Amino acid sequence: MAISYILLFILSFISISRFLVISKAGAESELVADLLTLQSQSESGVIHLNDRTVSKFITSTKTPRPYSLLIFFDAIPLHDKSDLRLPVLVHDFALVASSFIANHNGSNTKLFFCDLEFRESQSSFKLFDVNSLPNIYLVGPDAESLKDDTDQMEQSGFTRLTESLVEFIESRTQLTVGPIHHSPIISKKQMVLIIGFLLIWSPFAARKIFAGETMFHNPRIWLSGAIFVYFFSVSGAMHIIIRKMPMFLMDREDPNKLIFFYQGTGVQLGLEGFMVGFLYTIVGLLLAVVTHVLVYVKDLKTKRIGMLFSVFVSFWAVKQVIFLDNWKTRYAIHGFWPSRWN
Amino acid sequence: MATMPASASDLLKSFKLKTKQQELLIRVSILCLVYILAFITRLFSVLRYESMIHEFDPYFNYRTTLYLTENGFYDFWNWFDYESWYPLGRIVGGTLYPGLMVTAVLIYRILRFLRFAVHIREVCVLTAPFFASNTTLVAYFFGKEIWDSGAGLVAAILIAVCPGYISRSVAGSYDNEGVAIFALLFTFYVFVKAVNTGSLAWSLASAFGYFYMVSAWGGYVFIINLIPLYVLVLLITGRYSMRLYVAYNCMYILGMLLAMQIRFVGFQHVQSGEHMAAMGVFFLMQVFYFLDWVKHMLSDTKLFQAFLRITVTSAVAVGGVALGLGMVSGYISPWTGRFYSLLDPTYAKDHIPIIASVSEHQPTAWSSFMFDFHILLFLFPAGLYFCFKRLSDATIFIVMYGLTSMYFAGVMVRLILVATPAVCLISAIAVSATVKNLTVLLRSKNKVVQTGSTKGSGGSKSSSKALLDQSQPFQKNGAIALLFGAFYLLSRYATHCTWVTSEAYSSPSIVLAARGAHGNRVIFDDYREAYFWLRQNTPQDAKVMSWWDYGYQITAMGNRTVIVDNNTWNNTHIATVGRAMSSYEDEAIEIIRSLDVDYVLVVFGGVTGYSSDDINKFLWMVRIGGGVFPVIKEPDYLVNGEYRVDKGAAPKMLNCLMYKLCYYRFGEMMTEYGKPPGYDRARGVEIGNKDVKLEHLEEAFTTSNWIVRIYRVKPPNNRW
Repeated sequence: MAISYILLFILSFISISRFLVISKAGAESELVADLLTLQSQSESGVIHLNDRTVSKFITSTKTPRPYSLLIFFDAIPLHDKSDLRLPVLVHDFALVASSFIANHNGSNTKLFFCDLEFRESQSSFKLFDVNSLPNIYLVGPDAESLKDDTDQMEQSGFTRLTESLVEFIESRTQLTVGPIHHSPIISKKQMVLIIGFLLIWSPFAARKIFAGETMFHNPRIWLSGAIFVYFFSVSGAMHIIIRKMPMFLMDREDPNKLIFFYQGTGVQLGLEGFMVGFLYTIVGLLLAVVTHVLVYVKDLKTKRIGMLFSVFVSFWAVKQVIFLDNWKTRYAIHGFWPSRWN
Repeated sequence: MATMPASASDLLKSFKLKTKQQELLIRVSILCLVYILAFITRLFSVLRYESMIHEFDPYFNYRTTLYLTENGFYDFWNWFDYESWYPLGRIVGGTLYPGLMVTAVLIYRILRFLRFAVHIREVCVLTAPFFASNTTLVAYFFGKEIWDSGAGLVAAILIAVCPGYISRSVAGSYDNEGVAIFALLFTFYVFVKAVNTGSLAWSLASAFGYFYMVSAWGGYVFIINLIPLYVLVLLITGRYSMRLYVAYNCMYILGMLLAMQIRFVGFQHVQSGEHMAAMGVFFLMQVFYFLDWVKHMLSDTKLFQAFLRITVTSAVAVGGVALGLGMVSGYISPWTGRFYSLLDPTYAKDHIPIIASVSEHQPTAWSSFMFDFHILLFLFPAGLYFCFKRLSDATIFIVMYGLTSMYFAGVMVRLILVATPAVCLISAIAVSATVKNLTVLLRSKNKVVQTGSTKGSGGSKSSSKALLDQSQPFQKNGAIALLFGAFYLLSRYATHCTWVTSEAYSSPSIVLAARGAHGNRVIFDDYREAYFWLRQNTPQDAKVMSWWDYGYQITAMGNRTVIVDNNTWNNTHIATVGRAMSSYEDEAIEIIRSLDVDYVLVVFGGVTGYSSDDINKFLWMVRIGGGVFPVIKEPDYLVNGEYRVDKGAAPKMLNCLMYKLCYYRFGEMMTEYGKPPGYDRARGVEIGNKDVKLEHLEEAFTTSNWIVRIYRVKPPNNRW
């Protein structure tokens, strides 16, 4: 009898514990299913969390959780601060998220991409102890305390977020992300439309070209284009675009003062480049105007004034550029005659 | 006796030249002077140091040239070099542009034939200045072709001393660019000549010029894209002509066939996307020719226009489908990253860090333009304007060349070199046209007052007549003042160029110069000391491991096998070396033994204050090593994101192989008065680990100023 009791007890224990396991597993799979639906609702696959869902998916679940969460900390009021580059980072994060989901055909249940917004979820920010942005945390399956057990991505990674995020994920979760799907600039439909348009347009264009009546036959347009290309190149606009240089800097010591010129070769600021580019261009153009336009002016006085004006402006521009160049590069050009001749 | 003066004056009279002859004489003597000037202004480095090869890449070129002179062309073509990239080796014949080497050897053979007993090194050192001189001649003829002989002369003078060109063509800089700029300008000149004359002979010459360019430099891609672009613009602006048809077709077909003979280029002309523009324009030309013929045959305009519509649509469609099929089937390779980075400059930064990291590939700031072009920058827009005022096929070409190269120069610093000839030519037009107008004014004796460009838009005759009537009182004085102004500017240009050449572009960087405490020049010749030590004191088959920067120099001067060199074709191999340098000694020795290394060479500037040494390059070794082997992590070597070598440095940094090899025995050394021993002058700190002990390596040789340090790998301990 006793044995049967014990047996019964064991049986019931097994069944109860099984039931418990099942119910735990059920709760877990429910959470995963919730996450999946949330993920499918979002366009990029980034789940938008708030204080309630943070407690639902992270703090009130038992470890180990069947999933990891990668959380991006966002603050909409700070989006217009250009040095934080938050909108760019949001975009890159969404790109990695959608690529990850696409590469796993939506069957991934191990890792979810989430974001938290500061105004909605201030207490969650406190839980993570996040005081500065941008920030990305990985909440692993075993993380108990959000302050201590979570992995924070290093700040150096934010300069090239997509690559370093992939590295970060792959090193911490042992999941592969796969290739990043950069969205093409023009979609396939647009491509077809454009090609179709070009095909229809080309015979008309060809006829016009043969007849010689397009704007391409007007040298003035070519000339202004040429001057623009020149200005664009010598003002270092490429430098500004590639290095993402700001137009000017704030003086650290005196916030009211702006710095327009940067001392040191190989680096320049935006406005500085445009100013010098303008100086470069103006001299040549004045020379052209004097030799080709001014000569046809009939009034002698205007002619002389124009002449004197362009001579002085050219002189000033050349002087200014040479002064700036010597100041910037600290090369003092000297002649090869004895120094007392100077 | 009385007849003597008469006969002397007769003699003088017979020597007296006609104006035309005088002009010719002056022109030829100016050209000769410019030719010599272009040569001697590039000799600063030879005078200041000695006749030697500069920098890094030229040493490889020199070594291959030496091989070519000793073993002949066929051995050179089939050369498998086992002395570099040990244990992989390198197929040299198929992975270089042989134009430079063949040229140097040809010059050498000719000199030998003429019984000048020169060494091949002297020929190599002086190849670049010699070709710079030739470039001035081409610039003269080019200027003459697009404007007049005056502009040609000015262009020759400007290009002879322009710093943008001198930077790559001083004596000793034995690199591909030295001959390539000559080939580039020559090809362009001959092509423009061919377009102007429509002669088959000139277009044949341009095909050969192109062939020479392809054999010399990878920058030939610029030609094969610029010329079709030019042709396309001519077609669009309605300047299609039979001359253009002959010039382009001959040049393209022959140039392509010739270029395929270079093994490194191979079939790229028909397979790679970078060359497809030329082919597309080639077919477009045929369509134009065909249409012209049909137009000639059909008298009815309406019929012709209907025909035109159908042909153009189908031609464009067929071309598009062919290109698409080629791309999809993989027959036509897509554009390379380098090409992308020129078109979309932000591409390299986002996608190819190895290109973005090279200092020559940085985008150009305005001060670099000023440094390399000086007043030419101010004259360039004026020259552009003059060209537009007198549009012809030739001026359209130079404008396009100037603008495209100017754009590329803005994207990458090193491409200023390609823009230089165009900038010189266009500025020369501005200078020449202005000076010519002013002098015409001065010599006119109030009869023919001509201002403005002489052959400019001949539109308003009445206004120029009005000008004639009101003779202006201060006109001559004004012209004189302006002339003086122009000459002042040009003299400043000459001063600037000479100064830049002497101060910035003439250091060989293998021999270092510094100012001593009393302002005297101190020379550090440690590199060569170390390489000759290697050559004299190590076994013939010794393998030397160093960072890739020094690979070419070690093989060329030390004559020893290296693991990696400046031809960075195998990133993994470089990363292996980077990993060894950034590991602890006992981990590194495993890698070193697996690569059969006998000697390890490091470059150290702590004693002399030489700042581009291995400690300062070390982070790149970590990054490149970490890129392949994730065990190496950059943050391990940094303290709060800061790179330090003093007491506060990261522990991994203080014990890695590179640190140990650089600072071995340095802790005992006094470098500067009033500073503690072990004071690093390059970084201005006292080093953090003064007690460096080596277990598996031993110091073999340190040069007199400690710049190069060589360590021997100890054989493994005996096992019992």
